[in-house]
Amino acid sequence: MAISRVVGSVFQNPRSQFFNIDTDCELAFGCENLGMNPEEIKQHVENVVQEFHLEHLLGRSIFNLSGGEKQKIACASVSATGPEIFVLDEPSANLDLKTITDLKEIVSRWKKAGKTVVIVEHRLYYLRDVADRICYVKDGQIAEEWMPAELEAKGAAYAACLGLRCMNLEQLCEGMVRQAHRHDDIASGEIDDIASDKNNVIASEAKQSIIFSNLTFSYHHKHPILDIDRLELPCGQITALIGHNGAGKSTLAQVLCGLLGSWRQKRAARKRGTYLIMQDVNHQLFTESVLDEVLLGMKPQDEKLALEILEGLNLKQYADNHPMALSGGQKQRVAIGSGISSGCDVVVFDEPTSGLDYRQMLAVSATLKKLAASGKTLLVITHDPEFILNSCQSVVRMEHGKVVEQYPLSGNENQLIKTMTGKL
Amino acid sequence: MKLDPRTKLFLAAVANGMIFTAPLVYSLLMVAVASILLLLEGKWKFVCIFFFVYLSAGFFFGQVKNLDIGTSGTIILASLFLMYRIMPACVVLYYVVTTTKVNEFLACMSRMHISNKVTIPLIVMIRFFPTVYDEARAIGNAMRMRGIRLFSLRTLKSPVAFLEYRLVPLLVSITKIGDELSIAAVTRGLSAETKRTCVATIGFRWVDFVVCAYCIVVVVMFLLRN
Repeated sequence: MAISRVVGSVFQNPRSQFFNIDTDCELAFGCENLGMNPEEIKQHVENVVQEFHLEHLLGRSIFNLSGGEKQKIACASVSATGPEIFVLDEPSANLDLKTITDLKEIVSRWKKAGKTVVIVEHRLYYLRDVADRICYVKDGQIAEEWMPAELEAKGAAYAACLGLRCMNLEQLCEGMVRQAHRHDDIASGEIDDIASDKNNVIASEAKQSIIFSNLTFSYHHKHPILDIDRLELPCGQITALIGHNGAGKSTLAQVLCGLLGSWRQKRAARKRGTYLIMQDVNHQLFTESVLDEVLLGMKPQDEKLALEILEGLNLKQYADNHPMALSGGQKQRVAIGSGISSGCDVVVFDEPTSGLDYRQMLAVSATLKKLAASGKTLLVITHDPEFILNSCQSVVRMEHGKVVEQYPLSGNENQLIKTMTGKL
Repeated sequence: MKLDPRTKLFLAAVANGMIFTAPLVYSLLMVAVASILLLLEGKWKFVCIFFFVYLSAGFFFGQVKNLDIGTSGTIILASLFLMYRIMPACVVLYYVVTTTKVNEFLACMSRMHISNKVTIPLIVMIRFFPTVYDEARAIGNAMRMRGIRLFSLRTLKSPVAFLEYRLVPLLVSITKIGDELSIAAVTRGLSAETKRTCVATIGFRWVDFVVCAYCIVVVVMFLLRN
């Protein structure tokens, strides 16, 4: 009962950790529940607003905040009650790298104030300088325990084989560049023909791209949320869409797929055939069996083709199962299957790898690569540098509803990491 | 224009009483006050849509009422009648739910010495609706991408399947949200034992008296008429 006095918790999904509809009340809510007197509460709230730099978020509706902003409010409102122990459950899952840096600052501030902080997390790099201890849980027991430096010293391969994410982004990037160079060396040194062939192929592929025009959207005329005249996506490739929380990435995805915007934009989207795999795939599985799910969008319905699609996604043995009874990764693949079956050429993913460990991330990456190899064009909204380096070929960066940069990934890995961490 | 949550509750209670017992005129009187309050909140869009739908339902009801059109006609008539009678309640409830802040509501409940055991479930319920609305919208989006729309040949052919597609994922996510919300309630210290404080100041002002007096006048008029 009194545990909330001592322990403050922040959850992964901001959707259901808020009780109030506006930010001011939310910040005061925990204190009110503990029965502090109003003057004291006001003081506490003012303090956290200053500490967390929330001045611009005061007095806003919770439903209009982006994921990162919500997470900040959640941290601040827990901090306002002044508990001794903080428990965070994957707080970074929906955050961009810059907001993660803010989160790190918050955590280190708590640490300095003598609080105990427990973080359940897949992303390890931001805790490298903050954490004192890393516990690895397996089958309900603490199987291993390291200092961060110890774990780092064991090398990336060791971490990967335990399914852990990387500890050091710069290292990750260097590793990728080195690998790329090695490939180049081999290609240029030993098999020139293939290398030039490869270049030709890339050149001809680069010519083919899908062009979207008139991607604009606004709730009010004065403040366009999305303002893109022209967006080019290379065919048959995976393009990463990056940008800070609230930059308009999800809005772009919805406009591309005809879920938002004017009827003209919607009609264009329908003609083009774009499919969105949502972050919460539970929303897009309706039917009673996996096979029905794939058949639903098909015109005309062809069971043989549907089974083929399922086989391609390693789902054939689950054809008669209920989609809701599958695991998260399998559900995602069912959703992809339903997208393929409705004949779409462009598939947009909204953060497919948030909250996944290294192994699961690789599995998703393999599925996406396969999909791209089959000729689909993929656009992936993501904050996951490891995933981008692993599977994407080009990068689009958005800011304030506009595309500010677009470049092929190979050769620009350093730039990517720098922009993502906000060091540029 | 800020009303005390108690006034809002009184308004909602009177409106519901009038709508289910009194003739139509009395519920229209309640609609009038609720729409004025909504207009003062700047929600003119909602008010316009409401009046459009409501008046057209009333018009069609008047047209269809005296015709002899068999079973299907009776169903249409019944649904029009329900719309005609229930919608005034909806507009009042919409006003109450969208303009009441959670902490003000909690404060006024404790002012009225109502136990936390009653208040907390109510709070969770209030918080539940907008979340469910959000979820339903996401599911609707997913369905549109698959070409399943409310106004389409396919839905006309099999309306039950449409309902199923719409409701199954919603039910799954609703059960999850319910769980998460109750967990959040515990971790945020919303317990039945401690006495809550509140930073919001609530109290009766002249607007509250005007609205309350209006409600009482309507009730008295209804009672005297009988």
